[in-house]
Amino acid sequence: MSEILRTSALTVRYPYGSSETVAVDAIDLTLNRGEIVGLIGESGSGKSSLALALLALVRHPGTISGEVHFQGQQLIGLDEEGLRAVRGQAIGLITQKPRQSLNPFQNVGTQIRRVYQAHTDATDEQAEQHAITLLESVGINDASRRLKAYPHELSGGMAQRALISMALSAHPDLLIADEPTSGLDVTIQAQFLDRMWERANQDGTAVLLVTQDLGIVANYCDRVIVMEQGRIVEDLPTREFFANPQDSYSKRVLSLVHERQSAETATSNGAADTTVLLSVSDLTKTFTLHDKKVLQAVSDVTFRVHEGRSLGLVGESGSGKTTVGRLILRLLDADSGAIEFRGQDVSQLKSGALRAFRSRVQVVFQDPFDSLNPRWTVERILAEPLDLHTDLDDEAKQARIQELLEQVGLPTNVLQVRPAGLSAGEQQRVCLARALATSPDFLVLDEPTSALPPAARVEMIGLLRHLQAKLGLSFILISHDLSTVRELCQDVAVMYLSQMVEFGTTEEVFGNPRHPYTRALLSSVLFPNPHDRRVDRADRTDLTGEIPSPVDLPTGCYLAGRCPLVEERCSQESQVLREIVTGHSVRCWKATGE
Amino acid sequence: MTIPQAEPLPTGPTLDARSAGQAAHRPWYRDALFMTGAIIVGISLFLAAFGESIAPYDPQIPVGPPSTPPSLEYWFGTDSSGLDVFSRTISAPRTDVTLAVSAAALSAVIGTMIGLIAGFYRGPFSAFIMRISDVLQAFPVFILAMALVALSGRNLTNLIFALTFLYTPIFIRLTRTEVLTQRERSYVEAARALGNPGWRVATRHVLPNSLTPSLVQLSVTVGFGILLTAGLSFVGAGVRPPTPEWGLMIANEAPKLVLGEWWPSIFPGIAVSLAVLGFAALSNAIERRVAS
Amino acid sequence: MLPYIAKRAGIGLLQAIGITVVVFFVIRALPADPVARLVGFNASPETYAQAQKSLGLDRSVWEQFTSYISSLLRGDLGTSWVTGSSVVSEIRTTLPVTLQLITLSFLVALAISLPIGIATARRPGGKLDKTVFGYGLFAGAQPEFWWGLMFIFIFYFTLGWAPAPLGEYSPNISEPAEITGMSLIDSLITLNFPAFGDALWHLWLPVMTLTLIVSGPIIKMSRQSMSRVLGSDFLLYQQASGLPSKQIARSTIRASLPPVVTLAGILFGFLLGGAVLIEQVFSFSGLGSYSVRAVLNLDYPAIQGTVLIITLASLIVYLALDLLIAAIDPRVKAQ
Repeated sequence: MSEILRTSALTVRYPYGSSETVAVDAIDLTLNRGEIVGLIGESGSGKSSLALALLALVRHPGTISGEVHFQGQQLIGLDEEGLRAVRGQAIGLITQKPRQSLNPFQNVGTQIRRVYQAHTDATDEQAEQHAITLLESVGINDASRRLKAYPHELSGGMAQRALISMALSAHPDLLIADEPTSGLDVTIQAQFLDRMWERANQDGTAVLLVTQDLGIVANYCDRVIVMEQGRIVEDLPTREFFANPQDSYSKRVLSLVHERQSAETATSNGAADTTVLLSVSDLTKTFTLHDKKVLQAVSDVTFRVHEGRSLGLVGESGSGKTTVGRLILRLLDADSGAIEFRGQDVSQLKSGALRAFRSRVQVVFQDPFDSLNPRWTVERILAEPLDLHTDLDDEAKQARIQELLEQVGLPTNVLQVRPAGLSAGEQQRVCLARALATSPDFLVLDEPTSALPPAARVEMIGLLRHLQAKLGLSFILISHDLSTVRELCQDVAVMYLSQMVEFGTTEEVFGNPRHPYTRALLSSVLFPNPHDRRVDRADRTDLTGEIPSPVDLPTGCYLAGRCPLVEERCSQESQVLREIVTGHSVRCWKATGE
Repeated sequence: MTIPQAEPLPTGPTLDARSAGQAAHRPWYRDALFMTGAIIVGISLFLAAFGESIAPYDPQIPVGPPSTPPSLEYWFGTDSSGLDVFSRTISAPRTDVTLAVSAAALSAVIGTMIGLIAGFYRGPFSAFIMRISDVLQAFPVFILAMALVALSGRNLTNLIFALTFLYTPIFIRLTRTEVLTQRERSYVEAARALGNPGWRVATRHVLPNSLTPSLVQLSVTVGFGILLTAGLSFVGAGVRPPTPEWGLMIANEAPKLVLGEWWPSIFPGIAVSLAVLGFAALSNAIERRVAS
Repeated sequence: MLPYIAKRAGIGLLQAIGITVVVFFVIRALPADPVARLVGFNASPETYAQAQKSLGLDRSVWEQFTSYISSLLRGDLGTSWVTGSSVVSEIRTTLPVTLQLITLSFLVALAISLPIGIATARRPGGKLDKTVFGYGLFAGAQPEFWWGLMFIFIFYFTLGWAPAPLGEYSPNISEPAEITGMSLIDSLITLNFPAFGDALWHLWLPVMTLTLIVSGPIIKMSRQSMSRVLGSDFLLYQQASGLPSKQIARSTIRASLPPVVTLAGILFGFLLGGAVLIEQVFSFSGLGSYSVRAVLNLDYPAIQGTVLIITLASLIVYLALDLLIAAIDPRVKAQ
């Protein structure tokens, strides 16, 4: 492999007044052609600053020193013309926040054109044509119309594509990608990473991929670099990194990975109880937006949750899974359809009965800090549900609070602390304890682990499993993370654009996925295991294009525009959820065979 | 003059925030801005309460020959009617500061309540309130204040009411904006899911978390109030002579300035300038500390 | 774009109507007696009744309101109870004086503040930055009438660098014919250069006073806006894309403008009714001085007229600046 970039003693400092922060501390690093290098590390470890520094760039008002040799040329201290020849031409950059990286005052076409014209003598027409070709090449339909769009009119995925097309505009030799897929849905993420991988393997482009996701590292990277406090603490080939890490940080994150991998699929504990706890039928909800457009959030969702079982509600952004949770909790009112809890129609509940219902059904939200009143102590937070729903005396209340803390594994001394003084994991435990205070029959868990750092996430999943076994807890787990659902839920419902597209037991859906969307979702999962890479799998279902807007839904099957198996019939008739075997339903005529 | 402030910009965690953070993480007694503000505000409040009692002379009765320059006997000199300028300057907060503090406090309380209702409950009432406050904000403030006071009678109560009327929309807006942000947060939803009735969610959860902008604004508004009071007196639409009041003192003695008699108008002016600066500094310091 | 303009203008118009109505009723609801003020408190009941009738105050409030609105629709703001001349003509002579004063102050303030704001944004935490922070804090709220007096004391009385604060021209100058009502423009049009110089001579002190006050917030805002743009991702990305530095500089300036323009608009509208005290101090017969007279004399038609005109003028300024911002920032129209 031939070297393309080498740094020595590369240093980035951010001054303020008399003090300064050293973000990148004298780093020596080499990148080779055709190699994808993963750069990982905790937030604040200097990853992004290093990525920028390779372009001899630094965020205002930082300073940069040391050497960056790119194809033999020292970039630091190079004059403007010399740098311009490298930036955007020989080295392309893709950033974490695509929408913020585009100039909000110019339309996308102008921006792509300007970059192209900065490096060529192209006329306006030529540049325009080039921009259209570029956008088409990253899978944007209707490119000439999209060129006139301003960044704020684009979705995150669309903006990311525009940015990618700019970065690749001049066929760079080195691509620097700073968390390029954060905030993207998993199927979109897979599309992007696959392209990048092809590029490195076919054209010999070198890639530096900054990420926090070990799944991405294991699946796409040849080499792993770990940064801590501005320094490189590990630099190993990927398989070696996963097999035999040297640094303590690497060991810590990998031990969590192994803990997750050893977890089993959730199975129903003991004989299946057939009492229906929650029954949802034909649930529909729309929202009217400011511009009078109607957003279809949930359409005709039907499912049941049995006593002692838990349901995973899986889907990407815009699928309506969170809205379903809000509807069950009566935080929103449905347009039509019925929700019955223990045979009682939830939508008809009036004040007193509604209050009683609230003590039976509780919720844990995604962002734990946001879910706790920042001015209250933990004690006051945990006392609130007891004040509202019980008439315990002070002593009994204290005892109950102690019991709750034990259940969620928190020490007594957190009682006088305010939420800001707790870690995210502890905050989420407080949220869980609050939800459990009235001994509810049912919980709605809305992405309870996705805002937590890796270690806390593993612990939270363990805690939920434990409570399931100990308290016989039933819940709906709303999540975009398939592995979490697999570990905690007996049943799974997959949602796509307001509809349920597949429903069944976890074994059935994960073992024998029938809907193309479910398959794509499953094959987009990037396991942190370099021996089970997505790029090596033979039978993948890959989706193309963007998730359509729920304001402007396609006719026929909602997936038709992205589905690899699409036929003419798909875009003509809307699909119906049909049972293929007992307890396993699919919304796709090809799977149900009708 | 009180300059209106535009909406604050949305700022990310920039270096500005860090610099502000640095100052804010110092203990309060080492935060120069905070201390400057606190000391000036403290003195102003003290003089509002006790200024007249500690003054060497009666501020409303001529005590010496007119137009005496500053001396050991009359520290700030005497004005053209022979009143002691020092005694008047330190007695004036009784009017200026009391008035500004009362008006600011009243408008903060009323504005916060209305803002909470208008932000928490959407509907025709909220829309109506916001339109009214829009209209009030488009008014030329000074002229409106002048008209309100001149037409309802130049006394302390009417001045307080006029100022309250002018400043309430600021607090309505601030509180409503904050309430709108807070009510989108999960803890509010969690409070509802726990079975709290709406009014309880509003008063126990949303309100305490929506007070910060109003608290920051409160101190600035007191400064504005002092300026407006002095300005109104200056054009003859404020309190009546011989009440010791900074604007009035300046107005009465301004014609003498061009004759070289600077002392009767310079000292009350410095007092206004410092008092207003103090309240603004305190507000700024509080904002900085709250933000981090 | 067109619906956006229409919407903004519509809201502005509704506000103006709202203000007209509110002012009309509020001043009548307050316990003032303009008739007594006019005829004196010792006047006989007959004189009082006669005056009341001639002012139209013997009619019911609703009758007064309908007749006020119907003349308003004809562009007539009524007749001043004190001077007897039409309010429209009085505003026509006083408004330009105010407009000239504050426009000039604004231009000077912008010319000083923008470069300082940009310079401090480039070096946060520097000496200039700290000085400017202090100044911004200080100038945001200050008794400008007193500062005006201080400047008069220093520059007129002590140093003799400025004229006596007695109006727009010196008494011995032959004033140009009133065309626009703005001293600088009128003297230029009539090629009356001594008058032009004299007008400038009389303007510099009040302009400096207003500039001192207005600059604070503008510096603060341009610094904040600029430092936000300098730290922005898109600027970094333009550099990473190898765009020419001229292009980058242009987009930096453009991106930092909208908040400054918004603030400038608010300040301008505010000064229209807020230059009152400075006009008083320097004896300028502007709209501010007119409104003081109107209020103190309980001259209702004049009060209504000034408030309405100031509101309309500031609404026009807001609208113009909103349009300017919409032209700079494509996101505005989307809201």
